[in-house]
Amino acid sequence: MTLWRQIKNTLFTALCSGSVLFLAATLMIFLLPMLWKGSKAVFFRKTVEFDKMQKELFKRGHAEDLERRTAQTNQARQEALALLEHFSRGIDTALLSREVRSAYQQLGRHLRYLEVSDDEYARLREQAKDIRDAFLQALETTDKAEAESLLDTVDAQQTNPRFQNSPFEVVFSLSKQYRQILQEIDLSRRPEYAAELDIVKTEMRNLFGPLPGESIPPLPQDRFGATRWDVAQRHLQYLIYQTKWVPSGKDDKRLIPKQIRRDDPEEGIFGKTELAPLFSMVEQNLAAMLQPRPTIYWRYFLDDSTAGHYFGGVGPEVLGTLLLTVLSMCFAVPLGVLSAAYLVEYAAGGITTRIIRTCINTLAGVPSIVYGLFGLAFFVLLAGNPSILSASMTLALLVLPVIIRASEEAIRAVPQSYKEASLALGAGKFRTFLTVTLPAAGPGILTGIILSLSRAAGETAPILFAGAVALGPIPDIGLHLKWLFQPTRALSYGCYDITVGDRLAMQVPHNQFGMVMTLILLVLLLNLAAVLLRWRMSKKLQGL
Amino acid sequence: MMVRHGKTVLFFIGLTLWAAQPVLAAEGKTLQIDGSTTVGPLGDAFAEVFKELHPDVSITVKKTGSGDGAAALIDGRCDIAMMSRFMKDKEFQQAVEKGVFPVAHVIAMDGVCVVVHPSNPVTELRTEQIRDIYMGKITNWKELGGPDMPIVPVSRDTSSGTYESFHSMVMHNEKMAANVEYVNSNPQAHARVRSTPGAIGYVGIGFLDRYVKALKVDGVMPTRSTIAKGIYPVSRPLFLFTNGYPKLGSIIHAFCTFYLTEKGQEIIEAKGFVPVTEY
Repeated sequence: MTLWRQIKNTLFTALCSGSVLFLAATLMIFLLPMLWKGSKAVFFRKTVEFDKMQKELFKRGHAEDLERRTAQTNQARQEALALLEHFSRGIDTALLSREVRSAYQQLGRHLRYLEVSDDEYARLREQAKDIRDAFLQALETTDKAEAESLLDTVDAQQTNPRFQNSPFEVVFSLSKQYRQILQEIDLSRRPEYAAELDIVKTEMRNLFGPLPGESIPPLPQDRFGATRWDVAQRHLQYLIYQTKWVPSGKDDKRLIPKQIRRDDPEEGIFGKTELAPLFSMVEQNLAAMLQPRPTIYWRYFLDDSTAGHYFGGVGPEVLGTLLLTVLSMCFAVPLGVLSAAYLVEYAAGGITTRIIRTCINTLAGVPSIVYGLFGLAFFVLLAGNPSILSASMTLALLVLPVIIRASEEAIRAVPQSYKEASLALGAGKFRTFLTVTLPAAGPGILTGIILSLSRAAGETAPILFAGAVALGPIPDIGLHLKWLFQPTRALSYGCYDITVGDRLAMQVPHNQFGMVMTLILLVLLLNLAAVLLRWRMSKKLQGL
Repeated sequence: MMVRHGKTVLFFIGLTLWAAQPVLAAEGKTLQIDGSTTVGPLGDAFAEVFKELHPDVSITVKKTGSGDGAAALIDGRCDIAMMSRFMKDKEFQQAVEKGVFPVAHVIAMDGVCVVVHPSNPVTELRTEQIRDIYMGKITNWKELGGPDMPIVPVSRDTSSGTYESFHSMVMHNEKMAANVEYVNSNPQAHARVRSTPGAIGYVGIGFLDRYVKALKVDGVMPTRSTIAKGIYPVSRPLFLFTNGYPKLGSIIHAFCTFYLTEKGQEIIEAKGFVPVTEY
C-alpha cells in the first residue's frame, strides 16, 4: 500500500515538473528563433548604401566620411558598370534608337535657324528621315548582313556637307559604334540575351542602386543598392547564377533545378560575350564596392519607416502601442477596481450579484474580434472616425473582466481585521478602502494589470477597425489632446500588415521579424516593470 | 505611504475624467484611405510620395479588404476606398440609400496569374482545365501531361477581391471542390506554391518571381502588354472609389488622378502592376 502511494506521488511530481519543462521548451522553441531572426534588424553588417540611405532619409551621418567612402566605392564599381553599359548598348537598342531620334529632331531645329530655301529644307529633312529609318531598321533586324547593308546606306551620307557640323553628325559615330557591336554579338540570340540582361541589370541595381544615367526612382526603396551585407550576398548569387529547370532523366517527367554560372564558358549565356568578366569582377570585389562593416542599428526602435517597411524602423508603431496600452489602462484600471470594490464590499450575495459575476466571466471569454466589431459599431461610428481614443476604449473593454476578477480576489483576500482596525480608529468606509484595503490588495491588483497589459499590447483584432492604420502620421503628443482623435500605427497591426499584401515584405524578412521581436520585447519590458513594482509594493507591505 | 497610493488612484480617476471630456478635434486636411490588400501597396506608395508633395496633409492608409473598403466608404469612415473588384449591386444600393454615390477610378491593371512549382513541366493550361482542377474533376498532373503527382489546388479566401476575379473569370461562378486549400493573402499563396511541387495557385502579377512559374492561360503568357491590352484572360482593373467625383482641386481629386502623372505610372510599375495608359 505504501509503495503504491509512493509511486503515485513520484508520478505526480514527475508529471508536474514535466509539464512545466514542456511549457518552457515550447516557449523557447517559439520565441528564440523569432528573437534570433528579429535581432538581425538591429545587429547586421551595413554597407555604404546603408549610410547613403540614412543620410538621405534620416539626415544623419558624417557628410565628409560618406563622400570619401562613396568616391572609393564608386571607383571600385566603375569598371563593372562601364562594362555593363557598353554591352547593353548592343542588346538593349532602345538607348541607341532614342539618340538617333533626338539627333533627327535637333537637325530640324538646327536647319530652321540656317538660311536655307524651303525646297532645300524639305529635301534635307527627307534625306535625314531616310537615314534615321534605315538606322532604326538596322537596330531592329536580327540578320547581320541586312543590318550591315542598312548601315552602309547610312554611312554613304556621311560626306554630305549639310550634315557635317550639324547635330545630325552624331548619327554617323553611333553607326560606327553599332558596327563594332555587330561584330561582337550573335544577333539571332538577342531576345534571349535581352531577357537575361534584364535580370542582370535588375540585380546590379539591387546591389548598387540606380545605374549611371538613370533618373532618380520615385520610391525611396529603389534609390539605394543593397544596404545590408546579407542582402548583398543574396543578390550576388542571383546575379551570378541562373537557375535552369531541366528534365531529371527519370520517367516521372519532373524537372530538377540546375545552377549555371552566367559566365560559364560552355553553358553560361554570357560565357562567350564581352560581359563575361563582369561576374567574377563583382564576385571578387564586392567588399570593395560596398564596404561592409558591422553595426548596431539601435535607432531601429525609434525610426520612422518608408512605405511597406522597406527601410527604417518601428518608432511610430512602438509609440502607438505604448499610447494605446497606457491609455486603455487609464480607462480600465479605475473602472475595474471600483467595480471590484463594489462587488466585494457593497453588493449583497443575491441573485443580481451572481448574474453580474456570470456576465463578467462570460465577457472574459468573448473572442477579441467581437470587441473589435463592438468598438467599430459603438465608439467609431459614434465618434465619426477611428482614433486612438476609440481604440484604447475598445482595448479597455477587452481587459476589464480580467482586471475586475483579479481585483475582486485581491480585495477579498485582505484580512477583515485590517478593515475593522481602521473602522475602529474612526475612519469612514471610503477612507478605509482608500488607505487600508487598496494598498493591501495592491499586489493582487497589479497581477491583473500585468496580465491585461500584455494582452492589450498584443491584440490586433480589437484595434483593427477601431483606430489602427498601416500608414499614417505619427501622433504629436501634447497637452492639446488632438492626438487622441488621430488613428495610429501599432505593433500588433503592423505585424499583420507586413505579412499580408505587400510583396516587399518577402524581401525584408529581417524587418518582418524585427517588428515581432519588438512587440515581444515591449511586452516583456512592460511586464518586468509591473513585476518590479509589485515586488516593491509587497516588500513594503511586509514591513507594515 | 498609504496616502500616496490614494493620491495615485485619485490621479488616475482624474486623468480618466479629463481624457474622457469631449475635446474638439482640429479639422486639419486629412485623407483616409481604406480597403483592398492588393491595392494597398499602391496606396502606401502613393501616400509616401504625396507626403513629400503636400506636407500639410495627413494621410492614413488601412488594408482590411475590398469588402470592408466599400463598407467604410458607405459609412463615411474613409474618403477613398481601394478595391480590387467592382462594387456589388448590394453595396451600390446601400450606398445610394445612405446618400453616398460611389464613383470608380481605375488606377492600374492587374493580372491574376496561375502559378505552379518550377519543377512542374506543364507550361500551359486552358481555362476549362483550370476550372476542372478547382472543381475536383482533374486531380493528377498526369492527366495534363505532367508527372504522376496529385494536384494541390490553392485558392485565396472567399472574401478577397482576387478570389472574386478568379471565381467569375475562370470558374464562371462554379463552386470550388472540397479539396481546395484556402489561404489569406497573396504572399501566403506564393509561399504555398513555392514549397509544394504539386501545387497550383493564383497570385497578382507583382508576385511572380524566380520561385514560382506562371502558366500560359489559353495560350497567352501574363506579361505587362498582354494584361494592359486585355488579351490575357484573367486581367482586371484596380479601383479607387470616392463619394461622387471629387471636387476639382481638392486633395482627394489630386490623389485619385495621381496615377495619370509620370511619377504615378512609375510607381505603379515599381510596385509590380500595369499602368492603364502608355506614358
